[in-house]
Amino acid sequence: MSDFTKKKTERTLMIKKDPVLFSVLVAVWLSFAIFIFLPLVKLLLVTFFVDGKLSFANLSNILGRPYNVRALYGSLILATAVSFAGTFLGYMFALAVTRTSLPKPLKWLLSAVTILPLISPPFTSSISLTLALGPNGMLLKAFGIENLNIYGFLGTWISETLTYFPVAFMVITAILSTMTANLDDAALSLGASTRRMFRTITIPLSYPGIGNSFLLLFGASLADFATPLILGGHTFPVLPTEAYLLITGMFDIKGGSTLSFLLLVPALVVFLIQRALIGKKSYVSVTGKNGARSDFARLPKELSVIITIVCTFVVALILYLYFIILWGSLVKVWSVNNSFTLDHYRYVFAHGKKAITDTLTIALYSTVLGSLLAVVIGYVSQRKKFFGQRFFEFSSMLNYALPGTVVGIAYIIAFNERPILLTGTMSILVAAYVFRYYATGIRSVIASLQQIDPALEEASLSLGAGSVRTFTHVTIPLIIPAVLAGMRYIFIHCMTAISATIFLVSVRWTLLTTRILESMTELQFSQASAFSIVLIIIVFAADALMLFLLRLSTSKFNRPQETSYAIVSA
Amino acid sequence: MPSSALELRNVSKVFKKDRDEVRAVDSVNLTVEQGEMVTFLGPSGCGKTTTLRMIAGFELPTGGTITIQGRDMTNTPVNKREIGFVFQNYALFPHMTVFNNVAYGLKSRGEKDAAIKPKVLAALALVGLKNTENRYPSQLSGGEQQRVALARVIVMEPTLLLMDEPLSNLDAKLRIHMRTEIRRIQKKLGITCLYVTHDQAEALTMADRIVVMNKGKVEQVGSPFEIYSNPQSLFVADFIGQANIIKLTVEAVVGNDIRALLPGGRTFTARGLRPEGKGADIYKVGGKAALIARPESLTVLSADDPNGNAPATVVSEVFVGSHIEYEVELEDHSVLKAFTPFQAGMRVFGEDEKVSIWIDPSNVLFLPESST
Repeated sequence: MSDFTKKKTERTLMIKKDPVLFSVLVAVWLSFAIFIFLPLVKLLLVTFFVDGKLSFANLSNILGRPYNVRALYGSLILATAVSFAGTFLGYMFALAVTRTSLPKPLKWLLSAVTILPLISPPFTSSISLTLALGPNGMLLKAFGIENLNIYGFLGTWISETLTYFPVAFMVITAILSTMTANLDDAALSLGASTRRMFRTITIPLSYPGIGNSFLLLFGASLADFATPLILGGHTFPVLPTEAYLLITGMFDIKGGSTLSFLLLVPALVVFLIQRALIGKKSYVSVTGKNGARSDFARLPKELSVIITIVCTFVVALILYLYFIILWGSLVKVWSVNNSFTLDHYRYVFAHGKKAITDTLTIALYSTVLGSLLAVVIGYVSQRKKFFGQRFFEFSSMLNYALPGTVVGIAYIIAFNERPILLTGTMSILVAAYVFRYYATGIRSVIASLQQIDPALEEASLSLGAGSVRTFTHVTIPLIIPAVLAGMRYIFIHCMTAISATIFLVSVRWTLLTTRILESMTELQFSQASAFSIVLIIIVFAADALMLFLLRLSTSKFNRPQETSYAIVSA
Repeated sequence: MPSSALELRNVSKVFKKDRDEVRAVDSVNLTVEQGEMVTFLGPSGCGKTTTLRMIAGFELPTGGTITIQGRDMTNTPVNKREIGFVFQNYALFPHMTVFNNVAYGLKSRGEKDAAIKPKVLAALALVGLKNTENRYPSQLSGGEQQRVALARVIVMEPTLLLMDEPLSNLDAKLRIHMRTEIRRIQKKLGITCLYVTHDQAEALTMADRIVVMNKGKVEQVGSPFEIYSNPQSLFVADFIGQANIIKLTVEAVVGNDIRALLPGGRTFTARGLRPEGKGADIYKVGGKAALIARPESLTVLSADDPNGNAPATVVSEVFVGSHIEYEVELEDHSVLKAFTPFQAGMRVFGEDEKVSIWIDPSNVLFLPESST
């Protein structure tokens, strides 16, 4: 009883003491309720309520079909295989960049090549793999291989690994570069061989990065919809594509939501494990008091050889795949008539103009709204103390953690009827983007706030400034670089997203990524390539602009701060 | 009657840590007069910084009242208290020039640009930083940054100047220079200043009064001289300067003096301190008392010197220039420090040599054994 009244007085106190915080919290919770919880609850209701009664009929119905069970297994097997392969490649690349004596330009090339898959639309590697290894494939012809079937597990696995290993690379690089070289020196001076040092020092210390990258890739592969749609074929079904086909092909909302529930469970498990791991992580801060800086010890010879071979091969493959896309967009008929033409680009600008402007409009709205919300949420959860804080953080990240297919299906179920009728509008697309991709912005803001001494804000308060003035004059200018970095990634995500939004596009609002998908399903590879190239160029240009602004915002007071993708995605 | 600059009444702060309650600050009472410089001294975690932060308003006390110039400020937000706070790491705004840093508070207050400029320049001149107003903090040295932080606060003419270990990030030489600078400015402006430090030399040289804190409680409040020569507890004696604490058995209590038995059989008489709030009969014949003797009050003599109070053996001997630092062991195996001023031609005792020590009775005192 007394406990209860005490809580109550505390809460009434908050309204009085910090009315700004209180109203911000109310507003944000309200938006969570509408755009995060409502869709999720509706999804569960559709899945588990038949004729107004709790029922597992949908579930048993779906699991009764062997094809769906295969899709469930397919998803899990694929996700596991992609996490293993992607983490391995990521580790190799990270070692190459942080532990080898490769010349600087070469290291830059490695990092630059790994950026490509991150900023490309999700189909890029699928399209080019099809062009290279599919029927009439360029590589198949070159080597005279007759009967390789790229469709199925193999193609999906290769394509997803190439698409997602850059995430592993960034997460592991971040870990490897925060280790101090003194540990290497200590191990060697105690008589360890380089091989032993690597096995007993470097690898154990990078476990957190390995674990984190494994989970991230597992989640990413589980959620990936575009790659299996193009490369999976009938022999290798996975949950997101099955759900998509059920809903768009057979208008079976119940079946689709049940499948996405099956997808939701492992995704949520991965998310919870990740949160538990990160909660224990201690932040390594850069103090600049390292004394004499020594270089990391050389890697064991055989490992260097493996790294060189793997990295060269992968870099060559990625460059080759992008070259194919470019080539494919510039020749008349792929593999049949190789004469140069700009027809496909004319087609893109004639028939895809609306898609381009729509995509840009939606991405810009989402980026601005998303980063505003990210600043508020990031600031509140890093700097303020309030009731239910952990649940607040958890909720804010929920849509990001869930596979896009799940979010997309949940959104069409939730916003298809009054009072909140959003189907077919731009709002539903923007809402889906904002509440999914602002997560990168939130993380970026939080990471930046962790580096800013709260004494700066206290100094402002003690000089007589109110909390609002402190926020606008001290906090905001200091986190602007992080906000811009967050905006970069929000924008990239919005430009290249497909899995959630494929359900939400309409005649009125269409997207570049869905145009690419349409071209692919109509076997218009050249147009698909041209669309992809245009999209990549737009993203590159926007990214360069953001980077320029980022430099501009930091150079003024010599405060080098690059929020890396690793912090943002980890 | 003008009210005091600051009054703390039973101020406490309780933190919850893993469900345990930690009394970081425990019933602190203090009155600070206008224009006084008071330092808070104590080991890390003693609650001195928490106390300062409660006075500033960064944290709210769990209990007690804080009154600034007669007005109850216990629950007033920090930006309404008109205090100035100087942070350990300066907390200069890195995205603003020196000028804008110093002008920040005036602008928040809504003063006109025309009025702000001369004030800022005057403040910068006062701390010895002319012609730096267009630079960014990252272009200044540590000492200069500290001066900007000081200028940023004094330009506001605060009722109270609060400083949280402001010199601990500076190198030793600069620290000594800044001590006198801060003291000079504080005296010139007649500003009331509270200063937290863990450096006793800083506290002793700067303060009008020192507040020694330990485990959330105030151990003693007094002038530097009082704190050094009349420590009210073993903690203060041990924390300020170096002190030998020798536990002895009381033979007789004569007025204010205590006679006790030294190892080796002789007796020794000195003043016995009765800390406030303890009964008059804290010294009992046959009970224990702690003799507090600073190393400079002990003199090492040859073993047969008739002035010697107790026989001892030299454990180590270090020549540091101005004096010789001995460590000697008494017969009860307690080890004492004795600093003897160095004079040309004086006798220097080596390790393991048998000696006797003389304790200057006018410079030592007894404390109750349990007054930790």
